[in-house]
Amino acid sequence: MTVAPPPPDPNTRVDVGPMVGDPMADNIVVEAFGVTKAFGDVVAVSDVSFRLGPGLTALLGPNGAGKSTLFRMLCGLTPPSKGNVRVFGKNARRDRDVRGRIGLAPQQDAMFDRLSALEFVTLAAATHGIAGPEAAARRSLDLVEISADDPKRVGAFSKGMRQRVKLAAALVNDPDLLILDEPLTGLDPVQRNRMIALFNELAAAGKCILVSSHVLDEVARLGSNIIVIAQGRLAASGDYHALRNLMDDRPHRIRVGTDQPRRLGAAILERGVAEGVSVVEDQLMLDTRDVDLFGRRVAPLAVELGVELNELVPLDDDLESVFRYLVERR
Amino acid sequence: MASVGNLRATSITYRLILRQLVTGGRVLALLALSAVLVLVSLAVGLSEDVENPLEAGVALIDLMGFTLVVPIVALVFAAAALGDTREDATLVYLWLRPMGRSPIALGAWLASVTVSVPLTLLPLAVSAVLLDAGSDLVAATILAALVGVLTYAAVFLFLGVLVRNPVIWGVVYILLWEGLVAQFGAATARMAVRGYTRSILTSVTDVDLDLGTLSMTMGILVPAVIVVSALALTSWRLNEMEVA
Repeated sequence: MTVAPPPPDPNTRVDVGPMVGDPMADNIVVEAFGVTKAFGDVVAVSDVSFRLGPGLTALLGPNGAGKSTLFRMLCGLTPPSKGNVRVFGKNARRDRDVRGRIGLAPQQDAMFDRLSALEFVTLAAATHGIAGPEAAARRSLDLVEISADDPKRVGAFSKGMRQRVKLAAALVNDPDLLILDEPLTGLDPVQRNRMIALFNELAAAGKCILVSSHVLDEVARLGSNIIVIAQGRLAASGDYHALRNLMDDRPHRIRVGTDQPRRLGAAILERGVAEGVSVVEDQLMLDTRDVDLFGRRVAPLAVELGVELNELVPLDDDLESVFRYLVERR
Repeated sequence: MASVGNLRATSITYRLILRQLVTGGRVLALLALSAVLVLVSLAVGLSEDVENPLEAGVALIDLMGFTLVVPIVALVFAAAALGDTREDATLVYLWLRPMGRSPIALGAWLASVTVSVPLTLLPLAVSAVLLDAGSDLVAATILAALVGVLTYAAVFLFLGVLVRNPVIWGVVYILLWEGLVAQFGAATARMAVRGYTRSILTSVTDVDLDLGTLSMTMGILVPAVIVVSALALTSWRLNEMEVA
């Protein structure tokens, strides 16, 4: 697990973040050095550094964390305010050939709504200079299980279908770097499984795939390499399982519903069932590192003391609190 | 690595933007605007009070055609050509491609011109005929309208990638700059497209119009330079802008 990347130096290759596959210089696909992006006074991305090689990497972060801005900088759609980004050793903003090696499925729902799926993906193929763009579009649509012969305009498609058409457009040029911004949003479970399998197949074939998500369980299935971004900063990066353990080890806050909060709280603290206890407006709040153990011991303790135990409510089981914890511990 | 040639990129952009631009609402609204000019021209043409039909015709075409119909039609389509893709975030599907920026600008300009030309030339030519002032007025109107729409389209195409809400800015430009500032003298007239369309009208019809004092050559050459410059600026802006 790598946390808190070293200060960026554009002239030095620094091992920060996940390095998937063979970490030889020739294999590096994406390099970000101290990348910062500010919009006026708002800093969307702050001092982020990492390197990526071929393979599947998940970019995890809550909504508004800066994932899309980071992706836009990688693609060259927006320049960093500070630091620099290299894709295949070049700047995608300036290098036409690099742009031809990138496939992007943006998060925003915008598409040319008056086109059919086949027309939309054929356009993507044609703008990539692919010979036989319609045939390429049909193959790509087949991969995402959208009928190429559906005459409906994409404007009339469901969210999930639009998402898959965007994916088909991103895949149509057989890109070496595939950047997918929340690509599983709007897909049903079957489609999600299919798309995740497809991403893993492409990664196994040597493509560099970067997928963003704000759903932790989704990321667990995307692969073992992750980058966590929160409040615009790199909160953690590396192996998913190590991060998961780290998150499981963090203190959890639980609200306990009881008729005698002070008495129960004192007993809990005395018996070492929790690390911290407080009573706020007659509500008993507990901090524990082992939720399961706490759950097993609190009920017998309540019975022993003869106090009512009405509810146990975890207060920080959402992703936001996980990210906050990761950021605060840096 | 595949790359897209300039001609191919221009053609792809042209066909895409053309398809996106033509909507029933836009066309109907602009046809209604043109219809006003046609109706007024018919009324003037039928009137027996007009002493000099050619002078009256030139004045009417200049006033309504070149301060209203031509710039407004060009604004609506040219500002939307790339401006809409920028605002609705579909520009990324043209921008993040192995294509040059100039073909995108050129294709979008050609698309906006393709829609704007029939919607301006036809009603203006019909108006010139209805004014019943001779073939010189018809020829001058067609030539000046063509020059005007090509030039305005290039200027407003650039505006579309330069600012948000380009139509509002464009209307302000048409009213304040083309309609007001350009009237202050020969120097300011040369800095407005209307100064050149007016000079074409004057050159062909020999009817004197205020500030329409440039030669026919200048009336065509300077707008051509404006078109090339605006397209170059649009390409530059596409290269430098931040894309959603």
